[in-house]
Amino acid sequence: MSVIECRELSKAYLRKKVLNQISFTIEENKITGVIGRNGVGKTTLLKIMAGFTKETSGEIRVLEQRPFNNLYTSVNSIFVDDQMSFPPALQLQELLEAAQTFYPNWDMDFAQRLFKYFNFDPKHYHNTLSKGRTSTFNAIVGIAARCPITIFDEPTTGMDEAVRKDFYRALLKDYIDHPRTILISSHHLEEMEDLLEDVLLLKNGKVHLHIPISDLKEWAIGLQGQASSVLPWTEGKEVLYQNQIGLNATYVVIKNDLSEAELAQARLNGVKITPVHASDLCIYLTSDTKGGIDDVFINR
Amino acid sequence: MNGNFESNQKVYSQYQLAEMFTINPATAAKGLNILADEGILYKKRGLGMFVAEDAKENIANKRKSGTLKQLVQELVLESERLQITEQELMDMIKAALYKEGRK
Repeated sequence: MSVIECRELSKAYLRKKVLNQISFTIEENKITGVIGRNGVGKTTLLKIMAGFTKETSGEIRVLEQRPFNNLYTSVNSIFVDDQMSFPPALQLQELLEAAQTFYPNWDMDFAQRLFKYFNFDPKHYHNTLSKGRTSTFNAIVGIAARCPITIFDEPTTGMDEAVRKDFYRALLKDYIDHPRTILISSHHLEEMEDLLEDVLLLKNGKVHLHIPISDLKEWAIGLQGQASSVLPWTEGKEVLYQNQIGLNATYVVIKNDLSEAELAQARLNGVKITPVHASDLCIYLTSDTKGGIDDVFINR
Repeated sequence: MNGNFESNQKVYSQYQLAEMFTINPATAAKGLNILADEGILYKKRGLGMFVAEDAKENIANKRKSGTLKQLVQELVLESERLQITEQELMDMIKAALYKEGRK
């Protein structure tokens, strides 16, 4: 069953179109990673889903209702980022109690255990927390709320390495026990790729790819070797990334549509064939140039 | 291969695997299904996945015709690059064999 449906959804800020007629559906109880470069509209899209922002045109249905200004959506979804606003007059402990009254699936015992594990002081105030501690506290609220639609917008901002790992593991373990639809946006695909089932890749205000992460990992291959032996294999194919290494060695990334026999032949020609990491691939797919930052330095 | 699992023994469920390796349960299920498709595991409805009777031979055959063959090919390629003669290569292989104490 699909819980989120978008049809030709657009959002413009003044005249600048951030989301341009995007259409996709999210299935129930899947963990989807929302990936894209800075300013591509990830946050905008997630905020429209949560009902925080109004769409400019097109249609969006979350749990079969339009999310904007909708109480049903706000009870059944939670949007977690590092700017979640909480009443400054309440202590952290009181914030947890307030959340309990709002979210029907809230697990207070679980929230308290996370709270204790991360060494929060119940008497502290939210606005005195550091950047990383704010993210951690918000993440606790996001997990313990157990909303059918759980949205994390760059949840690990400011968290240290250990807390990030703990957060992803806590989220996964709780998801296994209590499946729900989860969307996570992050710039660090490599740290969360194991957690994801699907990837939604945004580029230029459009959905560039929406495929299972396992397909993304096999979507492209890297060929490395002497330019003379590598380049024939790229003929007639779309080159996603190309880089000169040394004098005449080349590394190219192409879509993985060579057959086993062709791959074996390439290997015999001295071409090194490597898988392309999902996070690297996303960088190649979303960049406008083929050589990356190195293109800036060409012909200097 | 190491005998961690015996034939007809139940293997970990997708949820156990997901927790063990912090991976998405759907990914774990895909992995189990690949093994089932290759005949290394078999499904019992409602009970889970079990190790097939001939899983060990099955894996051994696959590695012989796949992985080992490719390793040998790379070995030959590398020795050509280094201009090692056939005799030298054979001697090296033999030396490695005796070191392992197998012959």
